[in-house]
Amino acid sequence: MLATVPSASLFGVEGHAVTVEVHVSNGLPGFTIVGSPDAVCREARDRVRAALLSSRLTWPRRRITVNLAPSELRKGGAALDLAMALAVLVADEQLDAAAIRSMAFVGELGLDGTLRPVVGALPLVDALTEPTVVVPPGSLVEARLVGRHHVRTAETLAQLVAVLRGDEPWPDIYPDPAPPDLPPPIDLSDVHGQPLARQALEVAAAGGHHLLLIGPPGAGKTMLAQRLPGLLPPLDDELALQTTRVHSAGGVRLPPGGLVRRAPFRAPHHGASSVALIGGGAGHLRPGEISLANGGVLFLDEMGEFAVDVLDSLRTPLEEGVVRVSRASARVEFPARFVLVGAMNPCPCGEALRPGSCRCSDAALLRYSRRLSGPLLDRFDLRIEVLPADPHELLHAPPGESSAAVAERIADVRRRALERGVAANALLHGRHLEDAAPLSGEAATFLEHALRRGVLSARGLRRVRCVALTLQDLQGLDPPLGVRAVSLAMHLRVEPRFLSRRLAG
Amino acid sequence: MSSDREAVAEPASGGSAPTALPDEAWVTALATLDQMGSARLGALLAESTPETAWDRVVHGGLRASAGPALHRALGPQREAVLRRWREQAQRTDVTALWRRHVDRRVGVAIAGSAAYPAAFAGDPEPPAIVFSVGDPDVIAGPRVAVVGTRDCTRYGYDLAHRLGAELADAGVRIVSGLALGIDGAAHAGALEAGGAPPIAVVGCGLDRPYPARNAALWRRVARAGVVLSEYPLGSPPLAWHFPSRNRLIAALADLVVVVESQEVGGSMLTVDCAITRGVDVMAVPGPVTAPASAGTNRLLSEGRGVVRDAVDVLVALGLSGGGRRSPQDRRPPPDPGDGRVLDAFDWQPATLDHLVLRTGLALLDLTVALDRLVEGGWIEQRGGWFERVARPGG
Repeated sequence: MLATVPSASLFGVEGHAVTVEVHVSNGLPGFTIVGSPDAVCREARDRVRAALLSSRLTWPRRRITVNLAPSELRKGGAALDLAMALAVLVADEQLDAAAIRSMAFVGELGLDGTLRPVVGALPLVDALTEPTVVVPPGSLVEARLVGRHHVRTAETLAQLVAVLRGDEPWPDIYPDPAPPDLPPPIDLSDVHGQPLARQALEVAAAGGHHLLLIGPPGAGKTMLAQRLPGLLPPLDDELALQTTRVHSAGGVRLPPGGLVRRAPFRAPHHGASSVALIGGGAGHLRPGEISLANGGVLFLDEMGEFAVDVLDSLRTPLEEGVVRVSRASARVEFPARFVLVGAMNPCPCGEALRPGSCRCSDAALLRYSRRLSGPLLDRFDLRIEVLPADPHELLHAPPGESSAAVAERIADVRRRALERGVAANALLHGRHLEDAAPLSGEAATFLEHALRRGVLSARGLRRVRCVALTLQDLQGLDPPLGVRAVSLAMHLRVEPRFLSRRLAG
Repeated sequence: MSSDREAVAEPASGGSAPTALPDEAWVTALATLDQMGSARLGALLAESTPETAWDRVVHGGLRASAGPALHRALGPQREAVLRRWREQAQRTDVTALWRRHVDRRVGVAIAGSAAYPAAFAGDPEPPAIVFSVGDPDVIAGPRVAVVGTRDCTRYGYDLAHRLGAELADAGVRIVSGLALGIDGAAHAGALEAGGAPPIAVVGCGLDRPYPARNAALWRRVARAGVVLSEYPLGSPPLAWHFPSRNRLIAALADLVVVVESQEVGGSMLTVDCAITRGVDVMAVPGPVTAPASAGTNRLLSEGRGVVRDAVDVLVALGLSGGGRRSPQDRRPPPDPGDGRVLDAFDWQPATLDHLVLRTGLALLDLTVALDRLVEGGWIEQRGGWFERVARPGG
């Protein structure tokens, strides 16, 4: 007997519809899965058999062949378990085929017959066209985000079969009590003093400019970076869905509502491999940290400690906002639009609180400066030195502006950017940038002088203009760019100290 | 090269190279060997003539006959050292090596020769050989070593530059190491003044200026004065060369002035060498909170002489100071608003955060004022740091 049950399999961050076909025939008892299953998927035979037996259903002592169509698509993970179990039951005539008509099934089975949540439920369900989809209780919230299906669930295989046979009504299962809401994003008012760093954070959030923080240990680089997501605007519907799919496929716990609305903050350790950062891996290609940071902040602490090739693999995604992972067998595209925040010590000795205290040899400084390639360094529109806050300021200064107050100004700047046709000023390029950010006569003279002195490159000029535009947007001033904004933009983009040379003779 | 290969093949023929080479050539060859410091070279030459010493290295004759002094100088790894030397020596073409030194007009002086600088003759650790580019005769005359950290502040740089200029102007030869920071600043000042010839001692071969960024300065010193080294052409700037170089700076100086130094570092080694040799040490004071002045301030607290300007040094040398001169400041004064920003500077590096705190100005107003001050030569920017510039004319 033959049975077909629709389900879906995850590849990258995309779900693909898969038809599970089961053929049960006379012959030597056995269970074979064909159609490019990966190891986890092939292990389904043991899970499905045990789940059926635990659910007091009969395991056919006949020859069972499972085909996963289309067969050239690689299938990974355990999301097909449930569909296989039902297809076996139908093919063995323990369940009427009519009972599951117009239904798709997604879920992993425990040996006791429990329906377990799957990674990537959102994209999986999104790939299905059947009007009704059955998912494990743990995947219910995600599955409902798609909004096109009638989403059903059951606790166990036994319960599900009983419902399908018409013995029981569909159970009323509510999603797990929502885990306590994530702590509210930490507030900018915790930052005392450090006016330059505050300004840089505000500009980074307002214009989507990448930010490099250079400072000794204890200067508060991490603390500053953590405050950036709270300044970024919440993700709009499209970006939220896109980011949620990535988080779902990456196995990251989703927020209580299911949809990722708040700008994510990802801070991979410097030991991260290129696959962990960019995405990829064996089997179904997983999204990397840069995609999990989509719509939010990717924070690389101790940037000088990352492997050089790992850092350089960031360059294309930084430019294009997507990352294409290609393998011999497959090719996927992940979204990767984020604000990059890098943090570095000013030099390897870590003692360089200020000029005149560094104990590094010239050779060590040179080696250190090579850890960050020029092209990557160029991607940072904002590079500032961060020092520990002045002790007096730390104790006595009134708290600075709160994140909420700053975020209002930022939302304003983002609105101006949208009027220019981009999500953030940092995405303005070429002609577009020149039109949006004309220079006042005074500013033009100022920049020409900087170019002649060699303190500014042609590429630097474009980035300075872009940052100056954001600065002026923040003040609510319309272009042309004035000399104050241009000057501050240049001071927000200093040469890192390990590159700025010692005084020669 | 071929004659040397034969020497390897036929050890019995011994020293088959043309014998017209002077002693200096053999010492130069010995000095090219790995880990050959002045102690080993001195011990080797105390036992035999340079040519015999080379011959013994090439043919492994040292093991048997090493005297107690040489035995000690070779240290516990002596077997490995000798094996390494032998391999190296057998590959060395002494004639070609010597030719290179002659062709490049490198002065070579070995201990005891007429060309050997008198200042080294009575030294407790004299160099066995001294290479020079420039005119070695300029060494005769009053000499002051101006030394300090490579990672100096603008304050230290400016002071070293001014001391170099004023001392050279008063006829004092500036001795230094051509390193980045204070060393280079002192020589740059001396050259600008065009007074007494500068003297540099370096830690590598004279054909490979190090650090590369001071290469132009190095050539100017060689043209106007002399650059000295213990190491033959082609020697790399190895880490252990530098403490040794510092001892020569101390040996050459009548007085050592430390402009800026951290608590420990190369300049403090120079100071120790100077004290062992009975050479006076003076220091430039800095803020007690400044890491770059931690070493110099400690020297002062130990009772070393204070250097405020060249006159202090000249007085210590017993030379007439000619009175304190205040140099003409040719910079146009900043406008009053910018002047207030300038007043917010002490002589220590400051960041925008410091300056916002001191002036109460908004960042947008502060940076334009700073830009104008940099333009006027009052302030210098390095990375995110700003330092007040003392030296008139930039």
